[in-house]
Amino acid sequence: MSISTASAADSAVATNPPPPVRRNRRPLHAREWWLGALLVLPGMALAVTFKLVPLIRGVITSFESSSGFGDSSFAGWDNFTRMFDDPVVLASFRNALLVVATLPVWIVLPLVLSVLIHQRAPGWKFFRAVYFVPYTIAPIVVGIMFRQILSPDGPINALLRAVGLEPLAIEWLNGQNSALFSLVAVALWSFFGLGVMTYLAGLATIPEEVLEAAYLDGAGFWRRLFSVVVPMLRPTVAYWSVLCASGVLIWLFPLIYALTQGGPGNATMLPEYLVFLTTFQFLDRGYGSAIGIALFVFVAVLSIFSVRHMFKEGTRKPR
Amino acid sequence: MFRRRLTGVLAAGVATAAMLAGCGGDAADGPVTLKVLTWEPGGSEYWQQVKTSFEASHQNIKLDLQSVPFDKYPEVQGPYITSQSGPDVMANNAGLELFDRRGAYVPLGDRAAEINKDLVTYSGACEGFDTSKDCFGVPFSYQGNVMYFNKDVLRGAGLDPENPPVTWDEFGAACEAIKNSGKTCLALGLSGTFPAYWDFPEIARNYLTEDDIRGLLAGTLSWKDPKLVQVLEKLAEITTKGWTNKNAPSITMLPDGADIFQRGDAGFAGTIISDAVNWEAFGKALGDDKLGVTRWPVINQSAPLAGKFSGIEGAVYGVTKWSEKKEAGLEFITWLAGKDNGELWVKHAKSQPLNKNVDPALLPSSPAFKKIQEFVAEPTLHAGVMLSGPEADALARGWQQITLGQLTVDKWADQMQQALERSPTKKQGN
Repeated sequence: MSISTASAADSAVATNPPPPVRRNRRPLHAREWWLGALLVLPGMALAVTFKLVPLIRGVITSFESSSGFGDSSFAGWDNFTRMFDDPVVLASFRNALLVVATLPVWIVLPLVLSVLIHQRAPGWKFFRAVYFVPYTIAPIVVGIMFRQILSPDGPINALLRAVGLEPLAIEWLNGQNSALFSLVAVALWSFFGLGVMTYLAGLATIPEEVLEAAYLDGAGFWRRLFSVVVPMLRPTVAYWSVLCASGVLIWLFPLIYALTQGGPGNATMLPEYLVFLTTFQFLDRGYGSAIGIALFVFVAVLSIFSVRHMFKEGTRKPR
Repeated sequence: MFRRRLTGVLAAGVATAAMLAGCGGDAADGPVTLKVLTWEPGGSEYWQQVKTSFEASHQNIKLDLQSVPFDKYPEVQGPYITSQSGPDVMANNAGLELFDRRGAYVPLGDRAAEINKDLVTYSGACEGFDTSKDCFGVPFSYQGNVMYFNKDVLRGAGLDPENPPVTWDEFGAACEAIKNSGKTCLALGLSGTFPAYWDFPEIARNYLTEDDIRGLLAGTLSWKDPKLVQVLEKLAEITTKGWTNKNAPSITMLPDGADIFQRGDAGFAGTIISDAVNWEAFGKALGDDKLGVTRWPVINQSAPLAGKFSGIEGAVYGVTKWSEKKEAGLEFITWLAGKDNGELWVKHAKSQPLNKNVDPALLPSSPAFKKIQEFVAEPTLHAGVMLSGPEADALARGWQQITLGQLTVDKWADQMQQALERSPTKKQGN
């Protein structure tokens, strides 16, 4: 406890301090501002050069009509209106929606596994490494590998037949629906290790005592997961959700390229692969850009809710 | 006034001289280095020989070869074309692929005939397969499709390998026999465009005339036309009748499909005569004495093109519009079309030459190669290269779906028509 020795008048002055003398602080403030700007500038320059300029260029190209790599002409909204009548484009976006529908699996599966690792389930050290290993394999290699594994006479079907599950030994990459979900499953196998690592980093910020208290209070695994971990891990879950929401639509190219090339028919055609086909194989640059811009909008709309949520979480004042 | 005019004329003269020096006046100060963008058709050994031989006979020109894998080539070439910069000489496959990118090349004008005078054909390097129109480059290889067969597999199925099937029905019967012997009849991989692109012209020759094929190129022949629908029906039969390996829809033709044949597990393989895979690769894998080659089975004996060979030039090399070494570039592509390079092509790439003057003594002695010589003597237009990108893609995807029972031929024809209407190069009125 401290005792004030100041007079009442002084005390009044102390409780109502005079406004700060701005004249003295302004140069310091300006210096800080300029230093901050200087530090941000390289990042801004890189973002503008390599993100904004290509995006604007892409938008401009999407309004052009070209044949091959020859000169182009202004096409107005033609490329965009054309998309509504193009069955391949519609199929690719329909497939994209189906892929987005698998997002809960992308978000929940790594969360459950990371909590198991965090609470040191038997073999946790081994699994921590094993889950992350697929992420370190180049996706094109993963694709080539799984093309063999999922082939009609491949090891998965051989195993299923050997254990008497013959009806489950389907043509994984050839079915109208199985092909797309096989592709997503391979992508999930390849990427979920990153999610586990992300959640583990988030879990490291939760005080041990909180989880221990919940455990001592008799909360089971699922109760601890949904009542303690998820609320405290909200920013991490939101971050991983944004990454997945955009990632499932822009990570799959190498897998499609190596596994199915968009087939059979258009069963695994996704907008990102269609952009590649249209631009580089059909040489329809303007239309390819328009599909790319449509995909950009699709991903942006999907991500915007999560980003907004993350921003709110990040700026929420502690009670 | 006169002085001002004189100054203007002099300035224009200096500018023109500078421009001409930039355009073609290369090699003034020592050797010129030509940048060549290639996917190395025929292999790296052949291209090393090209560099050595060309530089030895052209002391003033050096070659700087930028080699890119074939499947990555368009991605590398595209930015060069859009930025109008980069290589002095580039390649594209004859046909629509070259037409789509012709804006990057210097039209050869009257020099085309002069440069290509000793070639069997060079129309695939010219607009509309017409040598009287603009030509954009120089080919040196000859490409087309044949049916290779494994004599041991045919023998094992009780068939006479010296008399392979000639008609569609005979081929079907041979396939049944091979299937009964436990082997695959026709090695095939349908993931990707190659088999659709290669096999389509071999069926199409039974239904289309050369005018029809030109209509296909121009985009005026509808895919709903009964002739094209019949082509699709026969293409569908190849897989729906069970003539191929069951995993065809999920594997690629190169290398997977070709591997089945090279392992000795299939009776037949429908592929090409040059470049990526040919008689030489199959001969090495199976033994030249076991490798046979025949035409694709004939469906309509009376069709005018049924007995012909769908021939097409291989890669076409042209000089880029932005090159400042155009004369040197022309020198190089002229040499590519010549006899010396034709002989290198045969010797090191083991492929079919396009130059008529190649020393016959250099030609391989393989029986399969000799048989191919008989086929290429009766050429016609290759319908496969008349397909635009969207059409070739839809053909391949439709064939996959037909094989899996997910599509009917009529629906396939609908999809082909939609693809034609989406093709930027075939838009009517262009």
